[in-house]
Amino acid sequence: MMSYLEEHYELIHKTPRLFALHVTREQLLDTLHQITTHTSFDTLSQLTCTDWIEEERFELGYMLTNALRSHNLMLKCSIARDKVTMPSLALLFAQAEVMERELHEMFGIGFEGNETLYDFALEGWCDIPPMRREFDTLAYVNAHYDFREGREDNLDVKEEIKKRKAAAKSAKETPSGA
Amino acid sequence: MLLLDLLLMLLIAYGFGFLYYGLYRNLSARVHGRFGPSLAQSFSDSIKLFVKEESTTFGWMFYLGPVIMASGAVLNVLFIPFLNQGESLQGLSSYGNLIVVLYLMVLGPLGNALGVGSSGNPFGVMGVTRGLTRLLALELPFYLAAIGVMIDAGSADFGIIMQAQSTQSNMFAHPLLFAAAFISFLGFMGKSPFDVVGAPQEVYSGPATEFSGKFLALLMSQSAMFSFAKLLLMVNLFWGGADHLGELVAKTFVLFVAATFIGSVYARFSTVQSVEFLIRIPTLLGIVGLALL
Amino acid sequence: MDEGFIPYQQSLEDEEQSIKSTQSVIEQAIAWFRAHSMFVLAYGTGCGAIEMPPTFTSRYDIERLGVVGVATPRQADILIVSGYCSPKTLKRVIRSYEQMSEPKYIIGLGSCTINGGMYWDSYNTIKKLDDFLPVDMYVNGCMPRPEALIEGFVKLQEKIRANSSEAGYIQYRTRYAHYRANQERLFGTQVQPRYEENFAGMNL
Ligand code: SF4
Repeated sequence: MMSYLEEHYELIHKTPRLFALHVTREQLLDTLHQITTHTSFDTLSQLTCTDWIEEERFELGYMLTNALRSHNLMLKCSIARDKVTMPSLALLFAQAEVMERELHEMFGIGFEGNETLYDFALEGWCDIPPMRREFDTLAYVNAHYDFREGREDNLDVKEEIKKRKAAAKSAKETPSGA
Repeated sequence: MLLLDLLLMLLIAYGFGFLYYGLYRNLSARVHGRFGPSLAQSFSDSIKLFVKEESTTFGWMFYLGPVIMASGAVLNVLFIPFLNQGESLQGLSSYGNLIVVLYLMVLGPLGNALGVGSSGNPFGVMGVTRGLTRLLALELPFYLAAIGVMIDAGSADFGIIMQAQSTQSNMFAHPLLFAAAFISFLGFMGKSPFDVVGAPQEVYSGPATEFSGKFLALLMSQSAMFSFAKLLLMVNLFWGGADHLGELVAKTFVLFVAATFIGSVYARFSTVQSVEFLIRIPTLLGIVGLALL
Repeated sequence: MDEGFIPYQQSLEDEEQSIKSTQSVIEQAIAWFRAHSMFVLAYGTGCGAIEMPPTFTSRYDIERLGVVGVATPRQADILIVSGYCSPKTLKRVIRSYEQMSEPKYIIGLGSCTINGGMYWDSYNTIKKLDDFLPVDMYVNGCMPRPEALIEGFVKLQEKIRANSSEAGYIQYRTRYAHYRANQERLFGTQVQPRYEENFAGMNL
């Protein structure tokens, strides 16, 4: 199993049970096809995305698991952050459909050939996708939700904890029995 | 006089039905190691539901379902004599016999099926389907036992059946018939292991899913009265009826507690399992019992 | 009660509300039956729902108070919103609430329903449940232990017996415009059918 991968690809050994290899967007489908037919890595178990905003790229991670569920192989694919679409894996792996739908919602990545890219967990979302790092969560929350005012006897938690700790300490230092 | 008598019978059935239902919840709570609700809990439930508004409407057939069911239960109570002697609490038993009662027992479920069917709720329909499937299997052993009892007494009349047991009750005279009837009685009471109809983890509330407010209260009341009627039926057919009200309460209570305890220790059969079980074991017992007559 | 909110702590500190003597005997009796028969629709919206099943087990045995779980909103008296609500969940919660028949009450379980709790800065959870639905009783804590939930039920029983016109379902009828406006503001275009059509012909 490993020998095929070693032969044909530049395999990175991350841990004894986790390998990685880099592919480009164009190679992805072909590579996946080769790997699933020639090795036992035949299940897509995860589809992840990392937002490298400083380098202007997304890194997609296609995590493959072998039949024994003992080894994992991650195909890493970097794409530009804006307006880049990926080919959909829905025909290769049925479960990819829902994973892609989530990535589409959270990062705004398009997947060609996936018919289900509509609302998922967020209904009627019209802001920028929330997992992109330029999305300002706090500003969004302030704009969209009301906060409840605290109670009048509202105490500053940090101050209060400090005070209580100090009180406990001084009580320890002056033993009550003495 | 007859009217007063009928009213009294209904009141007794209603009161004891609910008391027994409260007792059932209490006893099964004790089996689980809890305190459980008070005895009056089911009264509170039903009164609260009677003063609550309904939220659903699916046309008149939907409302007719619980009404047909309730009338089935009421008629059942009225046609079964409470006591084996005297004039009072005999109800309409002089106008009908065991066969009428057996017929009336299936009237309720069928009426309910019509009502639930018109709501179109899939869980309701699933519950009804399970209920009717189970009913088919339940009836077989019960009817066998009833036929045995009728052959033994030479009549379908309740008075004569109870008279025939004055020396020895049918339970000891025909233990096999009693066993068959008792197992199917457990199913009629909706107790585990035969409680597939309203199984909450599978079909929500089953047939009652769409009913709310007064109609749910009606369903609850009728099921309480109906279970009292079934207790009565068992007592009359196999335990020789009761001489007075005290004996009646004692006998139904014993039967009820037995059913409750059996119900609280068994896990639920699936629909297919319960049908298979009912068709195999109690039916076989019933047939052997009939052959031994 | 402009906010529709009584801090739980404060309601505990309150004197026992005496049951209004203006009620007739029958009303009092009905209120008593209502308070002692509570059918609960537990809407497990968030992680706080984990502490609800133990409340029904032998150790805590909430059936003592007449609390039973039911499977459909049609039969329920009390809706427990257990934990954080995303707007998507909230829509379903509102629909379930509107399907319940009156009188109906809501228990908000956990800090998340009160002020957002540990999700106070999440883009996808609401911060104040009582903006959208009339909450009758809050139980605070993250997550509230079964004891706290039982305490909440006992307090709610008192409220039900007081039979006040401040009860949540009456608020929801009389101040529906307020709740509806908040819902519309949150859901934007994806609002649901209007509830007040149900009240057509009712004397408000
Ligand atoms: S209050 Fe705590 S336990 Fe409850 S939903 Fe929020 S985070 Fe979860």
